[in-house]
Amino acid sequence: MLPVAHVGHYLWVFYVIPILIVVGAILRNAIAQRRAGRDEAGESSTAGGGKITKRD
Amino acid sequence: MTLPVAHALASRQDLPIPAWLFAWAASIVLIVSFFALSAAWRKPQFEDEHRRPLGERLSAALLSLPAQVLCGAIGVFLLGVAVYAGLRGTEAPDRNFALTFLFVTCWLGFPFFSAIFGDLFRPFNPWRAIGRAAGGAFAKLAGQRPAHLAYPERLGRWPAAVGLLAFVWIEVVYGRTSIVSVDIEPHAVAVAALVYSVYTLAMMAVFGVEKWCDRGEAFSVYFGMFGRLGIFGARDGRLYRRRPFSAATNWATVPGSAAVVIASIAATSFDGAQDGAFKDPIESLFNWFTDRGMALTTGLRLTDTIFMLATFGAVAAVYMLGVRGMRTVPGAPSFKQLRTGFAHTLIPIALAYLVAHYFSFFVFQEQAQFGYLLSDPLGTGHTDLFGTVSNEVDYKLLSANAIWYVQVAALVIGHVIGLMLAHDRALVYWPDYRKATASQYWMLAVMVAFTCFGLYLLSVANG
Repeated sequence: MLPVAHVGHYLWVFYVIPILIVVGAILRNAIAQRRAGRDEAGESSTAGGGKITKRD
Repeated sequence: MTLPVAHALASRQDLPIPAWLFAWAASIVLIVSFFALSAAWRKPQFEDEHRRPLGERLSAALLSLPAQVLCGAIGVFLLGVAVYAGLRGTEAPDRNFALTFLFVTCWLGFPFFSAIFGDLFRPFNPWRAIGRAAGGAFAKLAGQRPAHLAYPERLGRWPAAVGLLAFVWIEVVYGRTSIVSVDIEPHAVAVAALVYSVYTLAMMAVFGVEKWCDRGEAFSVYFGMFGRLGIFGARDGRLYRRRPFSAATNWATVPGSAAVVIASIAATSFDGAQDGAFKDPIESLFNWFTDRGMALTTGLRLTDTIFMLATFGAVAAVYMLGVRGMRTVPGAPSFKQLRTGFAHTLIPIALAYLVAHYFSFFVFQEQAQFGYLLSDPLGTGHTDLFGTVSNEVDYKLLSANAIWYVQVAALVIGHVIGLMLAHDRALVYWPDYRKATASQYWMLAVMVAFTCFGLYLLSVANG
C-alpha cells in the first residue's frame, strides 16, 4: 500500500519552495557580486603595476 | 468564545487549483511588484505626509471640547456596559455582550477602520477620557496642572508590546480549557478589564495621559499603529488629509515599536496555528507535560505559552534576518537604525494577517453584536431593548471560497504595500537606487516568507 494517507502532513513543503527559490537567488546573486568585486579589485591592482604572481 | 465560530473557518469546497499554488502565485506577484518598484520608483514618496487641511468649520466641530467629551463619554459608557455584562450576565460566551464587544467589535473593528480613516480609537479611548477629566478636575481644584514623572525613554513602547501579548494570552491561552475548545468566561474578562483599567489610570497619573497613551497603553499604541496607515489625522487643532501610509514612516522611531508590530503578527499567527499547523506539536508537548504529572490546565497553558512565545521569536527572527541581509549592502546604516527604520513596513502585514484570519469572523459576529447582543447584553433572555433579540447570524452570507479569496487578496495586497514602504525607505538610506534595490532583495525574501507562512496557516486551519 502506498503511504499516501499522511501526505497532507508534508504539504508545507510546497509553501517553502517559493521562499527557498527567492533566498537561493539572493544568495547566488550576493556570491556572484562578491566574486565580481574581488575580480575587479584584482584586475585594478594588476593594471596599476601590482605584484604579479606566477602560477605554476 | 468557541473556536470553530471564533475563526469562522469552513472547509473550502472546490478551488480550481490546490491551495499551495496560491502561495506560488502570491510569491510571483511579490517578485513582479519588486522589479516594478525597482524600475519605476527612484525617489522616496512617503517621507512627507503631504498634508491637506480639511475645512476649518469641520475641524473646529469635530475637535471641539463638547465633541471630545461626547466621544469620551461614549467610550466610558460602552466599557462600563461590557464590564457590567461580564460581571452580571450569562456565562455563555456567545450570548454575553462583553466578549463579542471587546474581542471582536473593538479588537478587530478599530484596526480595520483605523487603517482606512486614521486613528479612530483615540477619541473614544475610555481611559484617556477618564484621565483627561481627572486631570482637568485636579487643575481646577489645585489651580495647577498635575505634575508627572519623566517617562523612561529606554522603555519606549515595550510596555504596550507586553500588554498586547498579555491581552492575546488571555484570549487564546488562558481561556483555552481543553485541547479542542476555547471557552473564556465573561466574568474573567470583566475582571481583567477592571484590573487593566486601574493599572492604566495609575500609569496615566504617574507619567501623564498623552505620554502613556503614546508609549504604554497597549490598545492606544496598537490601534494607533494601524491608524498611521489611514488618510486622516489631526495636528495643532486641525484635521487634515494625508497621503495613505505616509504617517507610518515615522511611527517606529520610538524603541519597542518593532516589538509591538511583531507581537501583532505573532499573536495572529499563533491564534491561527493553534488548532491547525501547531496542533500536533502542541499536543505532543502537552502530553509530555501531563505524563510527568502536571495538571491538565497548567500543562495546556504552559504549552500554549511556550508556543506563543516561540511564534513571537520566529517572526522576530525572520525580520531580523532581513535586516541583517540589508546590512551587507555597501553604505548600509547601523543594524539598529535599519531595524528601527524598516519596522513600519510590517504594519500592513500585521493588518493583512488580521484581515485574513478574522475577516469572516468579524462579518459573522457583528451580526450578533448588532442583533441579539445589543438587545440582550446580559444574555439572560429577559430583555429585548431594540427588538432584535431573535436575529440570528447568517453564516451563508459568505461562502467558504469567497472567504479564501479575501484571505489571499488581503495577504498579497498587505505584503505588496509592505514591499513598497520598504523600497521607499531604502531610497532614503541608499540614495543610489541600484543599492537600494540590492538591499531590498532581503526584504523581498521576508515578504515572500510571511506570505507563504500566512497562506499555509490558513490552508491548514481551513482544512
